[in-house]
Amino acid sequence: MKNIEFKAVKKKYDETTVIQELNFSIKEGERLVLLGPSGCGKTTTLRMIAGLEEISEGQLFMGGAVVNGVAPGKRNIAMVFQNYALFPHLSVWENITFGLKIQKLTEQEMTKRAKEALEILNLTGYENRKPKELSGGQKQRVALCRAIVKQSPYFLLDEPLSNLDAQLRQQARTELVKLHEIYKPTMIYVTHDQVEAMTIAQRIAIMNKGELQQIDTPENIYHRPANTFVASFIGTPPMNLLSAHVRDHWIFIGDACVPLDASWDKVIAGRSRIILGIRPEKCLLAGEKPMVPAEVSYVENLGSQRTLRLTLKNHENVFVSTKDFTQTANSTKGFSFRWEDVSVFDYKTGVNIGYPIKEGGKNE
Amino acid sequence: MRTKLDKNILWHLPLILAVFLQLWPIIFMASTSFKDMNQIFTSTLNPLPFPPTLNNYVAVLEDFPFWTYVYNTFLIATLVTVCKIATSVLAAFAFVYYEFKGKETIFNFMLLTFFIPITVLIMPNYLLMSKLGLLNTPWGVILPQIADGMGIFLMRQTIRGIPKPLLEAALLEGAGAIGILTKVVLPLIKPSAIAVTIFFFIHSWNEYFWPLLVLQDKENYTLPLALQMFISAEGGSEWGIAMAVAMLTSVLPLLLYLFCQKYILSTFLQSGVKG
Repeated sequence: MKNIEFKAVKKKYDETTVIQELNFSIKEGERLVLLGPSGCGKTTTLRMIAGLEEISEGQLFMGGAVVNGVAPGKRNIAMVFQNYALFPHLSVWENITFGLKIQKLTEQEMTKRAKEALEILNLTGYENRKPKELSGGQKQRVALCRAIVKQSPYFLLDEPLSNLDAQLRQQARTELVKLHEIYKPTMIYVTHDQVEAMTIAQRIAIMNKGELQQIDTPENIYHRPANTFVASFIGTPPMNLLSAHVRDHWIFIGDACVPLDASWDKVIAGRSRIILGIRPEKCLLAGEKPMVPAEVSYVENLGSQRTLRLTLKNHENVFVSTKDFTQTANSTKGFSFRWEDVSVFDYKTGVNIGYPIKEGGKNE
Repeated sequence: MRTKLDKNILWHLPLILAVFLQLWPIIFMASTSFKDMNQIFTSTLNPLPFPPTLNNYVAVLEDFPFWTYVYNTFLIATLVTVCKIATSVLAAFAFVYYEFKGKETIFNFMLLTFFIPITVLIMPNYLLMSKLGLLNTPWGVILPQIADGMGIFLMRQTIRGIPKPLLEAALLEGAGAIGILTKVVLPLIKPSAIAVTIFFFIHSWNEYFWPLLVLQDKENYTLPLALQMFISAEGGSEWGIAMAVAMLTSVLPLLLYLFCQKYILSTFLQSGVKG
């Protein structure tokens, strides 16, 4: 089993704790993306797996064995660095076979693996070039090549696409997923780019301030965020978070009064204040009789869709994404939403309080 | 345009003067080595030998054990250089690559050695060599010089310039410390290492004071010591011969410098810019 498991792992620099107790596991052959803002500890977490950072407390298991004290070279890991870290004095071929030579592979096996990898990554013909003679995209592919020839069960990537332009990035994303499908390593990918995370990941682990916020499928991360941080970190524009009062079977948003859907009764019961989360594309613009009246304060045209900023009476802003170009901003009187598109968070802690259980005992 | 030219001339004048002052002894040395006794002691200024003669060189090569001095100097300079560059690179690599307690303190103490005048070290070094019975041997000259603070400092600055991910990538590929040093660090610092090596070699080749104290017998002398024999009362101030020896002594360092000038310049510039 080539899985990875964090058990109460902490990382401290002197007195500062940068990683608070991590507990999660990565399945064999899984594509997991560590996502979070700068300084959230995602790269540190990756480097702990690689053995480049010591673990201050707790245990890290790889393939069932504790690896806390195991040297990086002995962990059988392939890693792609943000700046590729290609050896500038070696040719592409020498860069790729660097590790294989240390592993003392036979010349035949080495050539076979390197040739195969070069072919997959479209680098045949570049074997004798030095890194400085390659473009950014080519360097990145050589770095990937060096990682895949090792055929390690663990594949770590530290923001490998951040130095590429938008077009190349999209191409590289597809290539990465394809590569993973071929070799099926346990892949951990660090990024701060949510588009990369959503497109590459089978599961996403979102981190903030050294703490794991949520680990789940991209689908659930997007539609069922564990807390307000995840809700506001994922999505452009992010999920609208509206503070609301609850009284009997009514909730009050701004000066609007909306009847509470019966399915939510049990979930919200006993709370007087909540935070209501609605994705911008789930907000419906309403010309007449909106659930929540608001004024349009800004319109952004993105070509394929428009983003409207609505301002409520209590000065809270709501972003609405719409593909409807016919409805002019001027005629909008507010927005409506459907209760099945809503997430509800605790007012104080920001934690998701759950979803109504559908009849038949299954979650919605 | 005009003002720019004027300004340049103003700047260039003192610089040209400085270059001339630096070069004058060398020109004087070269010229004198090709003169015979009569030309050396003329009352008029004769900067060029006329006619030039090779007698001085012939005398040096035939009448004196010149090649013995070359061998002595070369042996000492080579061994000192090899030891110094090896210790410099190894220590610098350790200072960059390893995290250990007191690293900064040890490094700072090492920097302090720059400021200790050589004269202060002569007594303890001399006594130590004497106790070890190494006086009057090349080893007595070599041993106190096998490590050099400046070399460690320069090499550390260079190694620090290597991006850390390169070392980490090598580490993940399974390379050990020696592997990282030989396969990644050394190829990348080669220009600087060559420059520092030449710097060490020239310095050791020209060294006068310490060998003078350690080496007593003439057959153990290095070239700079041998040179002194011709100038002292003993040699009767054979200026022509003395200058011929001086010329021959400076040929090797001069050639080394000329061939590797670009490495030397870039290394010293780099150590100033990076930190």
